[in-house]
Amino acid sequence: MIKRELYQEVIFETIKKGATVISKDVKEAFERSIAIETASAAKEGLEKTLKSIELSVEKDNPACPDTGWPLFYFKVGNECELEGGFMALEEATREAVKKATKQGYLRATMKHPLTGYDPGDNVGMNIPAFTYKFVNGTNIEVTYVAKGGGSECFGGTRHRVIAFADGITGIEKFIIDCYIASTRAGAICPPSILGVGIGGTANVAANLAKEAACLRTIGSVHPEPMIHKIEDELYEALNNLGIGAMGTGGKVSVFAVNVEYAYTHIAGIAVATSSNCMVARRATSRIYNDNKVEALDSPNWFEGR
Amino acid sequence: MAVHYLNIPLKNEDTEDLKLNDLVYISGPIFTCRSRLQRYIFDEGHTLPFSTKDRNCLIHVGPIVIKEQGKWELVSFMPTSSIRFEKWGAQSVADWNLKMIVGKTTMGEKTAAMMKEKKCVHVSPQCVSPNLWVDSIKIEDVYLFDELGSIEASWHMQLDKLGPFVVDIDCEGNNLYNRLDVIIGENKEKAYEMLSIPKDFQYTKLY
Repeated sequence: MIKRELYQEVIFETIKKGATVISKDVKEAFERSIAIETASAAKEGLEKTLKSIELSVEKDNPACPDTGWPLFYFKVGNECELEGGFMALEEATREAVKKATKQGYLRATMKHPLTGYDPGDNVGMNIPAFTYKFVNGTNIEVTYVAKGGGSECFGGTRHRVIAFADGITGIEKFIIDCYIASTRAGAICPPSILGVGIGGTANVAANLAKEAACLRTIGSVHPEPMIHKIEDELYEALNNLGIGAMGTGGKVSVFAVNVEYAYTHIAGIAVATSSNCMVARRATSRIYNDNKVEALDSPNWFEGR
Repeated sequence: MAVHYLNIPLKNEDTEDLKLNDLVYISGPIFTCRSRLQRYIFDEGHTLPFSTKDRNCLIHVGPIVIKEQGKWELVSFMPTSSIRFEKWGAQSVADWNLKMIVGKTTMGEKTAAMMKEKKCVHVSPQCVSPNLWVDSIKIEDVYLFDELGSIEASWHMQLDKLGPFVVDIDCEGNNLYNRLDVIIGENKEKAYEMLSIPKDFQYTKLY
């Protein structure tokens, strides 16, 4: 049985790490991009961003003040036992978000959508948001994602439904057009990690796109060759657009393209995009029934898909 | 591409000297502003509770600020997207006599037209580097904290060579990103070719 006190503390530490420590795969993407970028403004932008990311660990400060929407992804073992059950897990998560906000690891960004009322602690109607996946096992993995407003609000997350007849051509055109529009003047803080969801209802496609952007590591590939090929082709095409870091013009326009799909009603194919900003923030911890805790580099969200 | 070290309050001579793509570092007193402040002033009819005469640079930013032993401490700072304030852009430039706006995503045509009239410029960050910036910023004061909350309040800050920011709207109303749009537009055609998307492709109209 995992003690409530323990999982609340682990969730708090996961939030703190997610906000302040950038994952290894993201840092490596910066290093690779700096090495190949030839446009001076874009190269300097990447270098300064990486330097700031490194300082955030030293200063114990958020890597970006826009800590955005607090999103939690729980991968739950079927035999995992939580003290207080899942309602307690969600309550503990809300408490951890409040504490992280109070201590300055998260900005008090979440507000009432109509009045703008600020509770000051990032907790309100349907926020933080919870997503669950159930697997075999006796542990629970929690991934915290800080989903920034730039990449979410300015065209980084979109969807449309296309005819089956328009196929991959229609899907890829939609992605190219969206990406150009959303990176103008650095809106979504490119180079982004672009998630794409294809199929399912619109919300299923949008969730897959969000999870592909935020929960897959840079360099991971879809196991099915047809999807992997689409990822590679889109990656090449997007990196030939000349968008560059923060839209200032340059060689590196996207860090990764991650595609996920769902079976669908072929009357209309939902296609969705979700962009994660270059300062992509996430952290994952695993807690076992015997209260042992591990930090993980990857959320492993799509293992087994 | 020239590099400029500017002191606030800015004069027309300062902004007239700035060309698109130039880099600027800013020193002196600024104020922060986001949606709720502009709605509070321009839509709800309140008066700005301070003078912008010697503080004619506005930064679109929602900083993380915490109170440590009774003193405000800046934790993190990254300019946010200006385009969403376009509704109030021209009025803020005119009423507050601004000479510079700092933010991401540039601004629209109406604001640019007013900027031209008032010799105001817009500058934007080329990186996401809050931890390189916090040491260049001292918090002086805060206004409307109780009314608007921590990130929407107007923070008054004293800057010491904060930058670099790239000039993206000059005081003639020209926009750097309109120029980049042309290059990226040409590259888009090549991307379509790479993906075998026909030039005349039309979506089937489903609704």
